[in-house]
Amino acid sequence: MRPLDPQSLSKHVDRLYRAAWALCGSREDAEDLVQETFARVLSRPRTLRGDDELYYLMRVLRNTFLTGLRTASRRPVTAAAIEDVVAADPKPTSRPEQAYEVQEIYATIAGLPENFRLALVAVDVLGLSYKEAARALRVREATLTTRLFRARKQVAERLTPNDRQSPRIQREDKDSTGVLSSEGTP
Amino acid sequence: MSERPPQTEPEIVELVRSIDVRAPEELHRRIDALIAERSGQDPVKRRRAAALRLGFAGALALGVIAVALIVGLSGSGGSPLSLHTAVALTLRPATMAAPALDPHNQMELAANVDGVAFPYWDDRFGWRSTGARADDVGGHTVRTVFYARGHDQWIGYAIVAGAAPSVSGGVVRERDGTRYRFLSEHGARVVTWLRDGHLCVVAGHHVSDATLMALASWHSSEMLDS
Repeated sequence: MRPLDPQSLSKHVDRLYRAAWALCGSREDAEDLVQETFARVLSRPRTLRGDDELYYLMRVLRNTFLTGLRTASRRPVTAAAIEDVVAADPKPTSRPEQAYEVQEIYATIAGLPENFRLALVAVDVLGLSYKEAARALRVREATLTTRLFRARKQVAERLTPNDRQSPRIQREDKDSTGVLSSEGTP
Repeated sequence: MSERPPQTEPEIVELVRSIDVRAPEELHRRIDALIAERSGQDPVKRRRAAALRLGFAGALALGVIAVALIVGLSGSGGSPLSLHTAVALTLRPATMAAPALDPHNQMELAANVDGVAFPYWDDRFGWRSTGARADDVGGHTVRTVFYARGHDQWIGYAIVAGAAPSVSGGVVRERDGTRYRFLSEHGARVVTWLRDGHLCVVAGHHVSDATLMALASWHSSEMLDS
């Protein structure tokens, strides 16, 4: 066991931000989630039991994310006033074409069922080993492996060209007729 | 990043792992400030961290808070507590765990200053307590409880022990015989008022005056619409 050194955490901000973005599907929510995660971790001295910081941060990120979801689901939805909206960094990456793809990929991941999403984020986005991810998510390693396989499969399916066009077709049809007339051709 | 969409599991893995987007600079600054606060528990480190923060032009707001605290906290103990300093405390990180719900009063937390308790707002307003801190400034003990709602709204609620320092400025509104003073400090919206002769300060970002009034004026004997 060793005390968590707060100074060692700053190197994980980028990776945690990517994980939060993939969980939430939006950059603005990701910023809030990362800040809240760090605030929780830093609110008092912590002790690590032989695990590295990233594993620990993922566990807190998961708990903060799930707590936020449950709290949000209990509250009535209210629209934010324009003065309450803070724009996220307009230049998260220097390559605009990459920014589009990143948003699309993370939005796809964020659309996965919660358990699949967490598995994929822990292993593929954050880079934890299967063992670390399973412990952080409090599931058996075999369960994590299954969820991860299904998560990747669903992401692949949703990123195929036909699936990518479906939402646009639906929106156009709804705009013109008011009724969804097509789910898109397979 | 890729010319055709990934279709196999290895391709998906490669694509997701290839993303190297960096977090926004503003987020980095906020996290660095949190880490600096946590690392600088002793006064010397705190002043050094504050001085370092002052070097960053983009962290102007934090610099203002740090200066206020150095002035307020590092003197010979004779510096009077000002509202400016009290507000700064509500914007600092928590150093203690959040107080629990008072088992004897479902409207209050199990934390108080001279018998003036911090409210429990979770069920009524959706604001949950997330942490706390205690400071001694100019001979006054100031206890602060932090609350959050969702991922984007944070406030600090400070209660000052002893005789309340005088407060001026801002806009005063009266409700049920109590005068609530609204003003801005450190870029945050602030409401301050007296409870049993104790100065109370609630401050936060992204919180409207109406919300502050609803929170400040609610207590265990009444139920106001939020």
